[in-house]
Amino acid sequence: MKTIILFFAFIISISAFANDEKYFAQMGKQVQAVYVAKTIDEYQVAVNALDRIANAEKTKWEPYYYAAYGNIMMAIAEKEGSKKDSYLDLAHTAVEKGKELAPAESELVTLEGFAHMIRVTVDPASRGQKYSSLSMQTFGKALSMNPKNPRALSLLAQMQLGTARFFNQPPTEACETARKAATIFESPTESENPLAPRWGKEMNLGVLQNCK
Amino acid sequence: MLHFLKILIKVKNPYLFIVSDRPPRDQTIHPVPSTLQQPILVKPPLARHFRLVIAQNFMIVRLIYLILFSTSLVMVAQSQTRISGFVQDEKGEPIPGANVMIKDSYDGTSSSVDGKLSFISEELGAKILEVTFVGFKTFSQAIQLAGKEIEIQVTLKEEINQLDGVVISAGSFTAGEENRRTILKAIDIATTAGATADIAGALNTLPGTTKVGESGRLFVRGGDGSETRTFIDGMAVLDAYGPAAPNTPSRGRFLPFMFKGTSFSTGGYSAEYGQALSSALVLNSKDIAEMNQTDIGILSVGADVAHTQVWDRASVSGKVQYTDIRPYFRLINQEIDWKKPPVSLESSAAYRQKIGKDGMFKFFGNFNQTSFSLFNHDILDPTIKQQFDQDNYYRYGNGTYQQSLGANWSVRGGVSYSYNQNKLEFDGSPVSETEQGLHAKLVAEHSVSDQLEVRVGSEFYNRNYEVTRYNSNSDTNEALTFTEPISATFVETEYYASNHFVVKAGGRLETNVLNNYTSLDPRLSLAYKPGKQGQFSFAYGTFRQSPQNQYVRIDNQLNPEKAEHFILNYQIITNRKTFRVETYYKKYDQLIKFENGNPNALANTGSGFAKGVELFWRDSETIKNADYWISYSFLDTERNYLNFPTSAVPSFASAHNFSFVYKHFLTALKTQVGFTYSYSSSRTYYNPNKSSDQFNSDKTPAYQDLSANLAYLPKNNLIIYLSCTNLLRHDNIFGYQYSTTPNDQGVYVSRATRQAAPQFLFVGVFITISKNKSVNQLPNL
Repeated sequence: MKTIILFFAFIISISAFANDEKYFAQMGKQVQAVYVAKTIDEYQVAVNALDRIANAEKTKWEPYYYAAYGNIMMAIAEKEGSKKDSYLDLAHTAVEKGKELAPAESELVTLEGFAHMIRVTVDPASRGQKYSSLSMQTFGKALSMNPKNPRALSLLAQMQLGTARFFNQPPTEACETARKAATIFESPTESENPLAPRWGKEMNLGVLQNCK
Repeated sequence: MLHFLKILIKVKNPYLFIVSDRPPRDQTIHPVPSTLQQPILVKPPLARHFRLVIAQNFMIVRLIYLILFSTSLVMVAQSQTRISGFVQDEKGEPIPGANVMIKDSYDGTSSSVDGKLSFISEELGAKILEVTFVGFKTFSQAIQLAGKEIEIQVTLKEEINQLDGVVISAGSFTAGEENRRTILKAIDIATTAGATADIAGALNTLPGTTKVGESGRLFVRGGDGSETRTFIDGMAVLDAYGPAAPNTPSRGRFLPFMFKGTSFSTGGYSAEYGQALSSALVLNSKDIAEMNQTDIGILSVGADVAHTQVWDRASVSGKVQYTDIRPYFRLINQEIDWKKPPVSLESSAAYRQKIGKDGMFKFFGNFNQTSFSLFNHDILDPTIKQQFDQDNYYRYGNGTYQQSLGANWSVRGGVSYSYNQNKLEFDGSPVSETEQGLHAKLVAEHSVSDQLEVRVGSEFYNRNYEVTRYNSNSDTNEALTFTEPISATFVETEYYASNHFVVKAGGRLETNVLNNYTSLDPRLSLAYKPGKQGQFSFAYGTFRQSPQNQYVRIDNQLNPEKAEHFILNYQIITNRKTFRVETYYKKYDQLIKFENGNPNALANTGSGFAKGVELFWRDSETIKNADYWISYSFLDTERNYLNFPTSAVPSFASAHNFSFVYKHFLTALKTQVGFTYSYSSSRTYYNPNKSSDQFNSDKTPAYQDLSANLAYLPKNNLIIYLSCTNLLRHDNIFGYQYSTTPNDQGVYVSRATRQAAPQFLFVGVFITISKNKSVNQLPNL
């Protein structure tokens, strides 16, 4: 009897394992695709695949995360304001779905802030007020969930640098934040999740170039 | 007063210098994370719980896994189904990048540049094929996967998109924070030079308005100032303008910083709005505030302090402002002989509370007290003067609630109360005038489909007016009073035939209980957008409004005045440029008329018309860090009403109105400068020395004004603001007043109505204190 139970447990675990195998294999491919994409078309193909995985899996937050990331990248690459907005709307929806599955995930909240940040670019004059403060608050929220999230730190540093530049002030605060981010980027803590986000190091170097 | 500065900084906020229109360099340089580069099948990334199960017998697991995997490979080989075809839109144009998928599986593809699709699925049996693409409705089709190739043709239907699709634009200007299609942003109200942070002041730079410098109100398309009605969150506001000395401009009572958006309609508005002949100004108050902060303003004419407190699901903001213009008037010579220049105390409060998942309760309140005293000089003999005192007490409060009921229904409703009391004294003889108004409204909205929306609402007004005057001859108080209940019901449907055509039709049934007058007013508007950007709109409607209080108090059986609007509009909005041209015809009927010139014998026998063409151009793109707009309005109007002996151009109308508004942000100086130039052609005035067939045939000189403002931001939380009107010191004359009796030579003597002072200079310092250190204050100043 015991053997039978063990056997079934075995079979079940193996089939689950096989499913995960497929998930990680596909995700690995698509995350890579979204990292190396350069054009909107390339992003679209990767985001579509991530959307399919998200829809099929239903319980994984990572495909939503990378779909949102891809949509934000498309919004950045896009020139036309209304299209930027529709990509950001999609990013927002994906982040929200991801948050339903992983409410405590600091990385999702960081993307939410990133999307707010890009909203400003559509019309800085009228949106700056709302979205720049919203993005900074959202990065703050991401950092309260995980104070060592280097992406949240680095994006926050960008906002702080912008403020300092505006007032002709030395970017002390921004540099401090960016250095904190850099330290974490340099010595990444081994995540249990092989799909954990890893982007942002180069971007952070960009911020640090202003700190000499 | 000038709170807008808080918003100002964001005007050209150069935050996003790193995130440019290029993807971050990361995308190309940053190596793909090492774990992801490894072939996952060789070294599977195991989640912890699998590790636990598997660790004991790793070799066996690998073996079994290999077996399972190879058998599944065999199965795959047997059950592969190729799906191919193409994706197109309703016009047959290919759609590239559409997501094609077998529902609940990983299988699928993206359509290629020419709309083609082809992929292999390993699924078997009855499945659902879904195709999605942004801006289109999801396509789904049942398919049978059995190894035999499937050919599909997918035609995606356009989704009705209220953001980029066609919208009704005839007669309406919306000012909001977010929507790119708004013509005027909320911030513009605050940063327009010459507007002195007054809502009406900024809207007066838009086409459709006529500058009436001595009033400060919105005069729209041949209508007078009382024909524009203000609403806050859909609820009526009575007496929306503060008191002002005769022939000096009044300011709106509501500060622009309280509102997230403004919809200014110059005609043809929705059936939801009644009791307005010419224009509806709909102000939408802000939602829940985002952070705690305290703001302090030190102004050349007073001081203010505001505080906002935020909770998880609620926020409350309050503000107190004290204005005392006396020190300023001591410095700058005034045209008016003040005994005591205006002193006012004003406070406002806003409370917002989220209720349940998507319910929102809003309360908004305003309290205002102003007093002043001046001398009016006799025109014939200026040494004879008469003292005039005014004390004004004003209160306004409204509460609104909004709630969704499921996906397709929503309700909103509210109650507002206005109280306005003027205590006047002419040479010691007191007059007291009080108006109170209650407005209650309930609206239900239903989305029948994504193309059809229905709105039904019911509302009730109750207005009470009383004026009492002390009669020194009889030593008695004389009073005139009336109470006017009005009930109304409106229905409106909005139908989006496609993203290119929308029609909105409705009607308003209104019953005035005071005089038993019932009217049914149709409203119709439609818009057609032939291409991607430009669109045509048309609007029609009839509108009614009770006559002004000074007439109803004499005869409460007067019927409402009536206007009929026909508007045709073309508008094109590209990324950051807007062009708009509009033409209209407006017919006035049932206007109040003095029978045989007797101001106590009133009848609804007056009539009139207004017609015109208006142009608007705004460009925030061409000049770096700059934004400008130009508006021009041509107005041809005449009416025969009140004391007019014949049909004539009313004295508030001018044929040509032109505004040029320019704003430039100087990054190096951390300063925004703005200029506004306004021109109004001559206005008519009544000269009693002329015969009645030459009524209103005399004309004032044209009006001109060049105003400038400057905002300097030395620190994150500090703004220094400077503004000045009429830089060119143009001597603007709004009209002429005549002596009531002729002089010795039998001539009525005139006196020009001028600006109270040629220029108005304003200086303010604004400080924001907020405790939240993790968030920079700049965005919230």
